[in-house]
Amino acid sequence: MNPLQRLLVVDDDADMRLTLKLSLELAGYAVEVAANGREALEVQRMRPANVLITDIFMPDADGFEAIDSFRREFPGTRIVVVSGGAQFSKRDYLPDAALIGVDATLQKPFEIDALLQTLQSLT
Amino acid sequence: MRLHPQLSLLVAGAVAPVLVLAMVAGVLLVRHERQTMQSEAIGRTRSAMSAVDAEVRGHFTAIQALASSKALELSDLRAFYEEAQRVARGQSDWLTVRLALATESQVFDTTIPFGNDVPPMKDLGSFRLAVASRQPVVSDVDTSGARPTVHMRVPVVLDSVVRYVLTVQVAPESFKDVLRAQHLPESWVIALVDRNRRFVARVPPAASGRPVSDTFRAAINRSANGWFAGTTIEGTRTYTPYVTSELSGWVLGIAIPAATVDAAASRTVIGMGAGVAAALALALILGWYMARRIAAPVAALAAATEAMGQGKDVRVPDPARIDEIVQLHDALRTAAAAVRERSDLQEREKAALQAADRAKDEFLAMLSHELRNPLAALTAAAHVVKLAQPGSEAAVKARGVIERQTKHMARLIGDLLEISRVAMGKVALERERFNLAKMVADVINVWRASGRLERHFVSLGAKAVWVDADRARLEQVFSNLLDNALKFTPPGKRVNVSVGPERDQAVLQISDEGEGLAPGMNERMFDLFVQGERGLDRAAGGLGVGLALVKRLTEMHGGGVSAASGGPGKGATFTVTLPSVQPSAEQAAPFESAPRGAARQVLIVEDNDDTRAMLHEALAFSGHDVREARDGASGLALAAERAPDVALIDIGLPDLDGYEVARRLRAAPGGRRIGLVAITGYGQPEDQKRAFEAGFDAHLTKPVAPERLKQVMAGLR
Repeated sequence: MNPLQRLLVVDDDADMRLTLKLSLELAGYAVEVAANGREALEVQRMRPANVLITDIFMPDADGFEAIDSFRREFPGTRIVVVSGGAQFSKRDYLPDAALIGVDATLQKPFEIDALLQTLQSLT
Repeated sequence: MRLHPQLSLLVAGAVAPVLVLAMVAGVLLVRHERQTMQSEAIGRTRSAMSAVDAEVRGHFTAIQALASSKALELSDLRAFYEEAQRVARGQSDWLTVRLALATESQVFDTTIPFGNDVPPMKDLGSFRLAVASRQPVVSDVDTSGARPTVHMRVPVVLDSVVRYVLTVQVAPESFKDVLRAQHLPESWVIALVDRNRRFVARVPPAASGRPVSDTFRAAINRSANGWFAGTTIEGTRTYTPYVTSELSGWVLGIAIPAATVDAAASRTVIGMGAGVAAALALALILGWYMARRIAAPVAALAAATEAMGQGKDVRVPDPARIDEIVQLHDALRTAAAAVRERSDLQEREKAALQAADRAKDEFLAMLSHELRNPLAALTAAAHVVKLAQPGSEAAVKARGVIERQTKHMARLIGDLLEISRVAMGKVALERERFNLAKMVADVINVWRASGRLERHFVSLGAKAVWVDADRARLEQVFSNLLDNALKFTPPGKRVNVSVGPERDQAVLQISDEGEGLAPGMNERMFDLFVQGERGLDRAAGGLGVGLALVKRLTEMHGGGVSAASGGPGKGATFTVTLPSVQPSAEQAAPFESAPRGAARQVLIVEDNDDTRAMLHEALAFSGHDVREARDGASGLALAAERAPDVALIDIGLPDLDGYEVARRLRAAPGGRRIGLVAITGYGQPEDQKRAFEAGFDAHLTKPVAPERLKQVMAGLR
C-alpha cells in the first residue's frame, strides 16, 4: 500500500473531478475533491491529504495561488500539477509550474497509469 | 547640368546681343569722334595754310611794290639799288634783294656794293618759271648756300615784256612765326613742306631742307590734301591732316599724336565698356537672383521628393510665387499624402495580419486546451469503466461522463467544421420567406423551456418583420448572440431582445448588462478566433468562432452585424440588420409578441431592496400585477386592502417573521385561496418543512432564479 494514500483532486471541471476520484479510488487511494483553490484549502484543513493533484486554470483562486497557499500552510504536501495548456502560447503554464518547484507535472490528457506511476514515484 | 547655371546662361544669352550692339555702337562712336577731330584738324590745317599763303602774298606784294619803282622803269639801276637797299632794311625777314635780267644775267645784290660781281644764280627752275608764267613764284628751300633760303621771285613786266626778275631771299625759319601763331597744343607738330618734300619750317623745329618722314611723303604723293597715320621724324606716331597750297605748292601738315586721338577714343571706349560691363554685371546679378528664385524651390522640391521616398513629410517653406512651381509643390504634397496614406494602409494591413496570426496561435492554444480537457476526462472515465464492476455506481457515473464529454467535444468540433465551411463559402442558403420575430420568439421559448434562461431576466419586444432567408442559419445567428449575452452577463441581470422593422430593414438587437466590451474590440471581435481578454479561469470559455460565424452568416444574407458598448462593465448591444421583404398574403396573420401566463395579483413582502426589485421586475415581466411591501405589517395592510392571488414572503422580516405573516394571511377572510410562497436564504430540508407547516404552498431559496419563480407561479393552481 502506498503510504501517501490520501489525495486531494482540485479541478473546476466536475467530470474531471469525478473521473479522477473514481479511477484513483479504484487504485486504492482515499480521494477528496475540490472545485477551486479556496475550497481545496478548506477541505485540506478538515481532512488533510498527502498529495495535491491540481489543475492550473480555475475560478476564484487559480492553481498558482493554490500551490502557493499549500506550500506555506502544508509544506509536507506533495504537489502534482495537471493542465491542458498547449505548447503553442503563453497559455502553457506547465513549465512555469515545474519552475516553482512542484513535485510533478502531467499534461492533459494523460493515462491514469501515468498518474499512478507519478504518485508511486513520489514515495 | 544644374538648373541654376542653366538659367544664368539663359540670362547671359539674352544679354549677349545687347553686348554686341553696344560694342558696335562703341566702334561707331569712336569713329565718329575721330572724324570730328579729323575734320576739325583739317580746318585748322587749312587756316594755317591760309596764314602761310598770306605771308607769302605779303612778300610778293612788298616785292611788287618795289618793282613798280620809277627808277626801274627808267632803268636807273643805281637809284633802284639804293631804293631796294632801303626797302630791304625795312623788311626784317628779307635776307637780300637781287635783280636779274630775264635773260638770267645778274644786275645787283643789295648785300653787295652796286657794280660788284654778284654770285651765280641758284634755283634756276623757279626763276625760269617766274619768267615763263609772268607770275610771282616761290621756290623750294635752297640748301646750296651757306644757309637755307627760299627765293621769292616776281617778274617785272615793262611794255608787256618780262624785263627783269626781282628776287627776295627769305630765311625759311621766318615762316615759324606763322606756324607758332596757330597756337597748337605743345605735343602737336606743325610743319611746312616744300614741293621737294623737305621742311621749310617746323614747330617743334627741324632743320630747313631736311626731308620729311617717309609716311608724310608717301601720303602727299598719294593725294594733295588728306590725312594719314604715320610717324614723325622724332618717331612719334601721329595722325596728320595736310593741305597743299595752290599758291606756293607747299604742303602744311599738323601732326596730332596718336596718343591724343586714341586717348579720346579710348576714353570713349572705356566709358562705353564700363557702362556695358556694369549693365552686364547687373544683368548677371539679376539673372542669378531670378535663377535662384526658380532654382531654390525646384531644388527644395527635389529634396522634398527624395524625403518623400524615405517616407518623410513633404514641406517646402516657400514655393516662390511662380505658378508652375506652386502647382508642382501642391501636386507633390498630394502625391506625398497619397504615398503616406498607402504606407499607413500597408502598416494597418500588416498589423491586421499580425493580429490575425496572433489570434490564430491563441486559437490553436485554446483549441488544444478545449479538446484536451474533455479528452482527459474521457481517458479517466474509460479507465474507470475498464476496472469498475459493470453496473456498479462508479461504472454508471463514468458512462455519464463519457456521454457528456463526447457530446461536448462533438459540439466543439461541429462549431469548427461549421465555421470552416462558412468561411470557405461551402454553405448554400436555403431561403424562404418567414417572420423573423416569430423565429426569435420560438427560439426564446425553446430555451426557456429547457431552462437555459433561468439564471437571467430575458425579455423580448417583437414586431412582425419578414425576411427572405435561411431559417436554420438565422437561428444559428440568434442562438450564438443570445448564448454570448448569457455567457457574459452575471446571473440575475437582464438580457433584452428586440426585433422589428426599421425602414426597409429587419433589425434584431440583443442587449445585455454584462461585462461590456473593451474599447477597440467592437470591430475585431467578429474576426475568426478573436476573443475578449479573459482571466485564467476560462469562465466564459469557447473557441471564439461564434461571432465570426454570426458575421459571415449575416453577410451571406446581405446584412450585417455590429457591436456597441458603453465600456467594460456597462453591457453590450449586438445589432443584426437584414434586408426585409413583404410577407406573402397568407403569412401576414397577426403575431402575438410573447406568450404570457394568466395575469395575477401578486404581493411581495421583502425587506431587501434588491431582492424585492428583482422579484417585482420578474413578475411584472410575466404580466402579473405586482404590489410590494418592506415589512410584515404593511404587507398585511396591503393584503387587507385587496386580497392578492399570490403572496411572496421573506422569512427574515424586520418586524414579524415570514411564518407569522403567512399564518395571519391564511387566517384572514379569503386567505385560504391565496398562494403563499416562502423566500429564504436557507435551503435545508428543515427550513422547507417549517415553511409548509406555517401554511406556505411553496418555498424559494435566495437567490431566486426567474425561471424557478415562473415554475413556482405556474405550480400554484
